[in-house]
Order: sequence, then structure tokens, then C-alpha cells
Amino acid sequence: MAQVNATFEINPTSGVPIYRQIVDQVHALVAGGTLQPGHMLPSVRQVARAAAVNPMTVSKAYSRLEVEGMVQRVRGQGMEVLPPGQNGTLDQRKQQFRETIEPALHRARQLGLNRTHIREVFSSLLQDQPS
Amino acid sequence: MNEPAIQLKQLQKSFGSKEVLRGIDLDLAPGTVLGLLGANGSGKTTLIKCALGLLRPTTGSASVFGEDSWDLSAAAKERLGYVPQEVATYPWMRVRQVIAYTAAFYDKWNQPFVDELCGRWHVPLEDRVGALSTGQLQTVGIVLALGHEPDLLVLDEPVASLDPSARRQFLRTLLEMLDGRERTILFSTHITSDLERVADRVAILADGKLRFHGELDELKERVKRLRITARRELPASFAVPGALRCEVAGVHATVSVADFDQRLVADMRQTWDAEVSVHDLNLEEIFVEMHDGTIC
Repeated sequence: MAQVNATFEINPTSGVPIYRQIVDQVHALVAGGTLQPGHMLPSVRQVARAAAVNPMTVSKAYSRLEVEGMVQRVRGQGMEVLPPGQNGTLDQRKQQFRETIEPALHRARQLGLNRTHIREVFSSLLQDQPS
Repeated sequence: MNEPAIQLKQLQKSFGSKEVLRGIDLDLAPGTVLGLLGANGSGKTTLIKCALGLLRPTTGSASVFGEDSWDLSAAAKERLGYVPQEVATYPWMRVRQVIAYTAAFYDKWNQPFVDELCGRWHVPLEDRVGALSTGQLQTVGIVLALGHEPDLLVLDEPVASLDPSARRQFLRTLLEMLDGRERTILFSTHITSDLERVADRVAILADGKLRFHGELDELKERVKRLRITARRELPASFAVPGALRCEVAGVHATVSVADFDQRLVADMRQTWDAEVSVHDLNLEEIFVEMHDGTIC
């Protein structure tokens, strides 16, 4: 079983709760390809010791990731990264995307862009993306 | 066995006509690490002393492991460790002797663990206690409170006199003690960054009452600062429900809210035709906002 030396950059004095920082960083490491399906997350104890934070906080982050379907608990071995795509229903994923772009649309209106301008920008962005 | 490690019910304490605690309700579940925050003179030490039976509540009650704090059995005390703000011990004894003297009171004293702590923290075992610096004395106090590996550890400003490196080592030791066995910790501090590492719950004491008691994560997720930039000048009537602090200047406003909700932002965007950005606050900033904030 591949054990990845993924370490988290935890800043306890940030306004972002520590468990949130870990959850976000696992998302980023998976998105960036550093963590791949089958890889194991570092153990709760390793993370807690390295960052000098409460192990319960690390457990909480891992439990959230498990609920999200990002990882699964493997008995006696820890947390294994799962293949992507099964995280939430289509409706839930659409809703997440909606929440991401809503503020951007508002900003566009403040910049004085009309619907046509916004559609143009969006289409050109979509065209640049690999399908 | 799931009784609270510490339970305070409508705890009220006055010194003469001065009411320091005005009705505190607090349950400390086993396995919790609670950080107690409060301004100078807010009553943190009084709360801790009442909880442990070192002061008698004026009204209300305090209990430890289900026993009345004022009348704790030896068995309950055996499971309890306490580091007072000012460690009082015997100035004529050598540190080694104070440790041996304290050890004699406990059935389960872990001497190898104590030796290890003393080595790790460079405790001068042959020095007389009276000659120690405030920081060294506090370190000895911590060693004495940890030696019997208590189920409940209560620390009143444990790190106030320690340098940053000693503080970090102390926090690591606390975290190691939490790893593997269920322990309850209550500690008061001014140093919010320590609390952010170790505590899972936080209680904020102000005006003799608990202004907040809950999960640290929840507090960070609920208290946010919003920066608002409207297209038109904001009216004098500008207000935000649940705001801790609110500053308005022309088209800009800065608002700290105690109960953040994404709908609030959507509402504000609509109502004021404004751009709203949401900023996270760390514990120190939250404490200042709650302490100095004025309702607007």
C-alpha cells in the first residue's frame, strides 16, 4: 500500500478551523495529483505530532473526508484515498458549482458587464478547458 | 462512567459586595480539552478555584467526578491534577525532595515519567525551590501535577511564565498525554494561539457570565468579518442583525457578525447592491471583537 509523504501545512492561529485546513489540503493534494487513489493519508498521530495539534482535531478532519467519500477507513492501516467522481449526487455537485460562481456573477455586474459579456467570457473559458 | 468531569450549576461567587461570578453553568464531558478565556479580572481563577473546591460558592454548586467539590474524597483527588497560577511549595526543600514529598501522597505515581519530564524540561533537581525563577517554579508545578497522570488536569495560566520554546514543549507533552487515553483538561490562558492548538472547546468569560461556550471550530465558523462596498453611500440606518461591531464610512462598511450565514451575505448583496467579502477571524480577533464590540 502506497504511503505518501503528504504533509499538511497547518496554521493554528488562522481563522480557518484546523480540521477545515486539513480537509481543504487533502482536496488540493488530490486535485493536484499528489494524492492518488490507493494512497494512504498520514496517520492521525503523525499529523498531530508534526503540527503539535490535538489528535482529535485531525480525527475530525479525516471523518469529514470519509463522509464526503474522498477516503475510506481501512482497518489497521488508516485512511485510503478513493477514486474521484462518487462524491455527492449530480444535484449536489451542481449546487456546489452554483455557490462558487454566484459571487463572480455579482462582481461581473459591478464591473458593468451585461449578460452577453458574461456569456462570452464563460464560453471562452469553457472552450479553453479540455473536455 | 459518562458523568461530567466538572459540573457547575448556577455557580455564583461574591467577595463582600463584589459579585465575580453571576450564575455559571458548565459541563465538562470526559475527554474534553476546554480553554477558558477572559480579560484580566474576569473571574477565571475564581471559577477554577470554585470548581475544585478551593473556594466555596456563594450560591449554586460545583462538582468533580460527580462529587461535591467542597467535599472531595481522596479517590477523586487522586484522579485530579492542578497547576495554580502561582505555585506555592516549600522554599527550603530541594526540587528532588519536593517531588519525592508529593509522590508520597499518591498511590499511582509514575516516577519514570516524572524523571523523563524533568530531563526534557531541564528541571534543576538539586536546587532549592526558593531560589528558582518564576518560570522554573511553574515548570516544577506542572511536573508535580502530571506525576500521577491524572484523568482531569486543571491549569490556571500554566504557561504565563514560560518562554516560547518551553511553552511549545509543554503543549507537546499535553498532546502526548491526550493520545491514547481519555483525559479531561481545563486550562485558562491569555495566549490564544496555545489554546487554538490544544483545545477543542472554548469558554469565554465576561462580566461574570459565559459569553460563549462551545466548539472552537464552531466559534471560528460562526464569527466572521464582512467588508461591504456598496454602489451608493450607505444610509445611517445601515444595520446588520447579530452584529458584534459595525463601522460605516461612506460606501464602505466593516461588520463583525456572531452568527454568520451565507444567506446574510446574499441578503446584503441584494438590499444594498453591494459587494460583500467574508473574512475569517482567529481566536484572538474573535476575543477582541466580543470583548470590545458594541452592538450596532
